[in-house]
Amino acid sequence: MKGLWWKVLATLLLLYVVIVGLRTPLRPAIVQTSVSRIAPGPVEVDVWGYGTHFIKSGAQVWIENDSQRVCATSVAAIADDHLRVQFTVPSGLRSEMSDLAVFSERDGLLERFGAFFTEGRGAGIATQNCVTGKSLRLAILEFPNRDILNESIRNLFFHVPMWFTMVVLLSIGVWKSVVVLRKNDPDADRSAAVAVQVGLAFATLGLITGSLWARVTWETWWTSDPKLNGSAATMLIYLAYLVLRGSVPEPAKRARLAAIYSVFAFSFMLLFLFVLPRLNDSLHPGNGGNPAFSKYDIDKRLAPVFYPACLGWILLGVWMYDLRNRLLRLQHRLSDANDQ
Amino acid sequence: MFISASLFSAATFAQQGQESWLVETMYKSGKINTVVAVVAVLITGLAAWMFMMDRKVSRLEKDMNKR
Repeated sequence: MKGLWWKVLATLLLLYVVIVGLRTPLRPAIVQTSVSRIAPGPVEVDVWGYGTHFIKSGAQVWIENDSQRVCATSVAAIADDHLRVQFTVPSGLRSEMSDLAVFSERDGLLERFGAFFTEGRGAGIATQNCVTGKSLRLAILEFPNRDILNESIRNLFFHVPMWFTMVVLLSIGVWKSVVVLRKNDPDADRSAAVAVQVGLAFATLGLITGSLWARVTWETWWTSDPKLNGSAATMLIYLAYLVLRGSVPEPAKRARLAAIYSVFAFSFMLLFLFVLPRLNDSLHPGNGGNPAFSKYDIDKRLAPVFYPACLGWILLGVWMYDLRNRLLRLQHRLSDANDQ
Repeated sequence: MFISASLFSAATFAQQGQESWLVETMYKSGKINTVVAVVAVLITGLAAWMFMMDRKVSRLEKDMNKR
């Protein structure tokens, strides 16, 4: 088998991505509090964590308001992910929003920003020092635990590479189309068509997985967002490419027409997916003053799985293209041989 | 095949009250490892299918070139 090594590599990469991408724990986090508004006087707050170890390693809890701290007067661990905390809130806190901070040796510092709306504000208080001890957290691989995303952050390894693979396959398509225009090569014409077919298959998977993810995080299957509409427009343009091919019976004419159209379609794809979304505000990461590959979107803790995932899926896409292309070439040669 | 076979044998062990490392792994931390095993089997299966198709096409290409 030709090119065996990269086919084995693709398989191993995808296995690695599934195992490490699903098994790596999220960073523990504070996910909920029973109270969202605090006023001067005593208050009891139930605090729920995710992946935390409150019983095993205890917790020190405080309210943080404009870098001034109010320590908890009592902390009871009800479960590993459940604390019951009492504060005596002083009057005179400066900021409208207070954060909740929980520290334990095992999990380190966990913060819930803007946890409490604060009443009885004033010029400030005498801050307290609430932390004793050091974090003994092991520097193992863990994924960020972000509000709204939570465990679904793992979708990054499956949804995003679909689009990268599509871009790679459509690039192969436009490259083969240029070859058609320069050399009038029917072999390149078939390759271009196969690249677009497989690319569209990956785009469909990207669209479905994105829609599913959007339902959970944005609470809608679809929203009129530049990135979403751009990807849908790209798919329609490339579907039209396949329709165009199907509507011209004469092979040489079809090859040239399709090749010219493909160059235009590719330019529009670049425009729709990489230019327009950046010029507009968008919910989707990587757009509108919200660039991907920044410290916000591709957290360095995700990189050890995300980059292998991209490579693995792209290799699988190229493999599928290669297989279908060779199969159609054989079919073509067979029908040629029968004609003679 | 090997993975599923070893899983079945592990399940039988569990019923007899003995705990193998595999059963322990499968039950640990919310049973996510079971999902991982299932998806890993799927990916292995799909890859096997790709390899088989690839081999068949390679063989056909060889035959074709001999003609």
